[in-house]
Amino acid sequence: MCGIIGYAGTQANRPVLEVLSNGLSRLEYRGYDSAGIAVAPEVSVYKRKGELEDLEETLPDAPVDALAGIGHTRWSTHGPPSDENAHPHTDCEDRVAVVHNGIIENYRELRDELEEVGHIFDSETDTEVVPHLIEAALEQGADPGSAFRQAIERLEGSYAVAAVFRGREEVYATRYQSPLVLGLDEDGALLASDVPAFLEYTDEVVYLEDGQFATIRPSGIEVRDQLGALVDVSVETVDWDPEDAGKSGYDHYMLKEIYEQPRSIRECLRGRPQPFEESVSIEELEDLPRPAEMHFVACGTSYHASLYATRLFRERGVRATAFLASEYDVETVPVDEETLVVGVTQSGETADTLRALRTANGVGARTLAVTNVVGSSAARETDHTMYIRAGPEIGVAATKTFATQQAALAMLSSALTGECSREFVESLRALPDQIQSILDDSRAEEIAEEYVHADAYFFIGRGYSAPVALEGALKMKEITYRHAEGFAAGELKHGPLALVTERTPVFALVNGDSNAEKMLGNVTEVEARGAPVVAVTDDPGFVETHADHVLSVPDTHWRFFPILANVQLQLLAYWVANRLGRSIDKPRNLAKSVTVE
Amino acid sequence: MDTDMSVSSAVILAAGEGKRLRPLTKYRPKPMLPAATKPILEHVFDQLIDAGISELVVVVGYRHERVQSHFGSTYRNVPVTYVFQEKQLGTGHALLLAESEVDGTSVVINGDQLVDSRIISDAVGEHDSAATATMALLQRSNVEPYGGVLIDEDGIVTKITENPRDGHDYHLNAGVYVLEPAAFDAVRAVESQIGEHSLLDGLSKLVDEGEIVHGAVSEGLWVDATYPWDLLDVSSALFDTGVVNGNSKIVGHETTTVHDTAVISEPVLIDRDCVVGPGAVVGPYVCLGENTTIGSNAVLERSVVDNDTTIGANATVVDCVTGTGVEIGPGSTIPGGPGDVRVGDTVYEDEALGALLADRVVDRGGVDYVPGALVGPETDIQTGTTVRGTLAGGTEVRS
Repeated sequence: MCGIIGYAGTQANRPVLEVLSNGLSRLEYRGYDSAGIAVAPEVSVYKRKGELEDLEETLPDAPVDALAGIGHTRWSTHGPPSDENAHPHTDCEDRVAVVHNGIIENYRELRDELEEVGHIFDSETDTEVVPHLIEAALEQGADPGSAFRQAIERLEGSYAVAAVFRGREEVYATRYQSPLVLGLDEDGALLASDVPAFLEYTDEVVYLEDGQFATIRPSGIEVRDQLGALVDVSVETVDWDPEDAGKSGYDHYMLKEIYEQPRSIRECLRGRPQPFEESVSIEELEDLPRPAEMHFVACGTSYHASLYATRLFRERGVRATAFLASEYDVETVPVDEETLVVGVTQSGETADTLRALRTANGVGARTLAVTNVVGSSAARETDHTMYIRAGPEIGVAATKTFATQQAALAMLSSALTGECSREFVESLRALPDQIQSILDDSRAEEIAEEYVHADAYFFIGRGYSAPVALEGALKMKEITYRHAEGFAAGELKHGPLALVTERTPVFALVNGDSNAEKMLGNVTEVEARGAPVVAVTDDPGFVETHADHVLSVPDTHWRFFPILANVQLQLLAYWVANRLGRSIDKPRNLAKSVTVE
Repeated sequence: MDTDMSVSSAVILAAGEGKRLRPLTKYRPKPMLPAATKPILEHVFDQLIDAGISELVVVVGYRHERVQSHFGSTYRNVPVTYVFQEKQLGTGHALLLAESEVDGTSVVINGDQLVDSRIISDAVGEHDSAATATMALLQRSNVEPYGGVLIDEDGIVTKITENPRDGHDYHLNAGVYVLEPAAFDAVRAVESQIGEHSLLDGLSKLVDEGEIVHGAVSEGLWVDATYPWDLLDVSSALFDTGVVNGNSKIVGHETTTVHDTAVISEPVLIDRDCVVGPGAVVGPYVCLGENTTIGSNAVLERSVVDNDTTIGANATVVDCVTGTGVEIGPGSTIPGGPGDVRVGDTVYEDEALGALLADRVVDRGGVDYVPGALVGPETDIQTGTTVRGTLAGGTEVRS
């Protein structure tokens, strides 16, 4: 949830504070209730509750004489947002400053132990035990590198940690089940929770493995394994365009990302549909056999994409089930070598999903990650990886990554089962322009305007559209802070109908090719209760007499209707949130990449 | 190419719809219409970067999302900044909106006309500290439809006028300017006029007040599409001048599939993700945008086919311009020009246009087109129809 940045370099070429501030602004989406920076060799700490702009006010105007530093944006897990709880944290004598992402599970015991021998704590965070543990080791005569290592060895839980020491022009770092990448630059070295944080400086990266220790210096990086032996690291080049992290003229990243969907889908499809063979091939999965059984594990929006996927696979004869990753447990769900466990995670760092994948790995299941981030933990820890190729997504609310997850999973279902048709391939290839046509001509903004003061928003769909009803409601909740629920339409009369009034618009996903008559029945149910009905449909003529408004989508293969319909719901949520003046890209209490369980 | 160019930033004017290009501009502005296989504006960016520009400031307005989504925040590693002109109040108004994004001397250029980098370099090379502005000029026999500029023997501009008809020896205004901050001030000074105002009014004011405005006469390539069917000539000009290479041995891109039995006649340009079916004949002078599909035994000649378009089996497509996502059905025939094209009350006779199909026209197959047909967006043409003249968009047409 939190974000870390670190830098060691030559001051003349690149002021440390500038690199750290820029990095933090790129990491802000991961969490933002407070932020802070520490620089060495003096160990000066600047930190503040609030947004990054608040921190920038506390930074000195004059350049500081520093060659190394660390920075942090915090999303609270232990202790409320406050100046004290903001990272970096220091020891009693300000000899070391530490930033941390993750959760230290045994921090209570460690803190009691340290307080007993006289350490004074300033914050309520789990993190603060780390600088005090380091201090204790320094007092025993350890050098900074050993003191850092000794402190880390005491920790239980998940962490990415970086530290600077008084008198040292370097940054010490390590990770265990929390992301941390290193960057190599002509003028120094960097580290961060994810690549976009430093992509404006370098595209040469080293992915640190769990349990490895890194030291970054102006002259370069040094990586050692758990036992202290030097590791020969491989440097990879990432091909993301750093300025993709810019809003390119849009008011919000979310809107930019919604409009980027035709391009993202093009990238996702590229080279995969085979028009002459009337098949789909996924190069990176060529050695993956047809699975007998599949478990999808995912959270949030990715879970909705997984629900969509299970239907595709089941229809093609594969037993497929979607699980919320946080609820996945091989002790209660039978898993064996014949099971393919698919982790769907945009960031590849979602802690719940990673845990579920590790558990599945542990019992011998074959694992596949469907992710957007090359080199992410999910990509590295699974047997197979399929990339959704959406490009960087900055808005906390997932949009283009959901569209590409759906397209990728649809292709996966064809590639793994060998079941395809000419119509399926043609419909895939038609998606970019069909999404563009929705963006060119959507009425979502005016409909959002009409219902901006509704009591609640309900979304209903059947079959392939049911997951999109859930996703439409999630998007609405996330960015508008209004009550929204999605239901399988048949469930309405088993309870939710009691909530339906003339002040609760119902958004009905009506696909002319499947379950259309049944959906129309559900529409008339809510219509009879006086609720405004907005039909999202590829067959306006069929529903328009029962709907107050129609959001139309192009006619497509019925399996792809949900991909198109969802675009209208994204726009709807965006325009309601925009009208309400919400913090659309960084909704309250939410973070982009959920790296705690 | 002038690599020592001292001017680093450019303002690109791309806010206007380009109404004369209707119906292709229903969903995107003229700068986003295809020249060969990429938008006109992308060519403009390329030429600016080739001429040494390292900062692009684009004034967007009509259907601005299309521009922003296409280019994002950088193009070829050059940062792109967007300035939004809500109402299209003219090039002068647009220029002033962009003023705060540039420092010192800047290039200002129309985003809806194709120029090559030589014209830009010539204007920058001619510009010196004595001049408040420099305009790139071309020697053309017919200046009347465009902007005309008179210069004296020292290359100093003496008169700027639109659609000159007085028989003087006018140069054509290429729409490429090098402006000092004082030129922005002059544009501001004429702003008080009600309604639209042109940056040319500002330059005329400089000329009238005796400030130096240079005319840089260039021999570089300059092509403008005045009417939608001109896109065919624009693409042909790009092939003929070598701005785009239509003779690549490897046609298209590695993600494009061309059947072994298809015949490709150069010059031709095939973009990514395309499919050309068995027995199809493509070219010469054919541009296929991204993700287009050519059915088996279809024949295409001198056509600009935009992204995501599908051409059915056995269709004949000659002298045709399509928008995006068009479907030309199996066996349909667009026989090629010349034909008379009717726009409003005006008839343009003997234009080399087979048919123009705007975005997402669907032809269900077996449709015959009388040369010069213009079909509006989303028109649904039923099987066996004969299409002649101009069809409004969004309708269903049967014979």
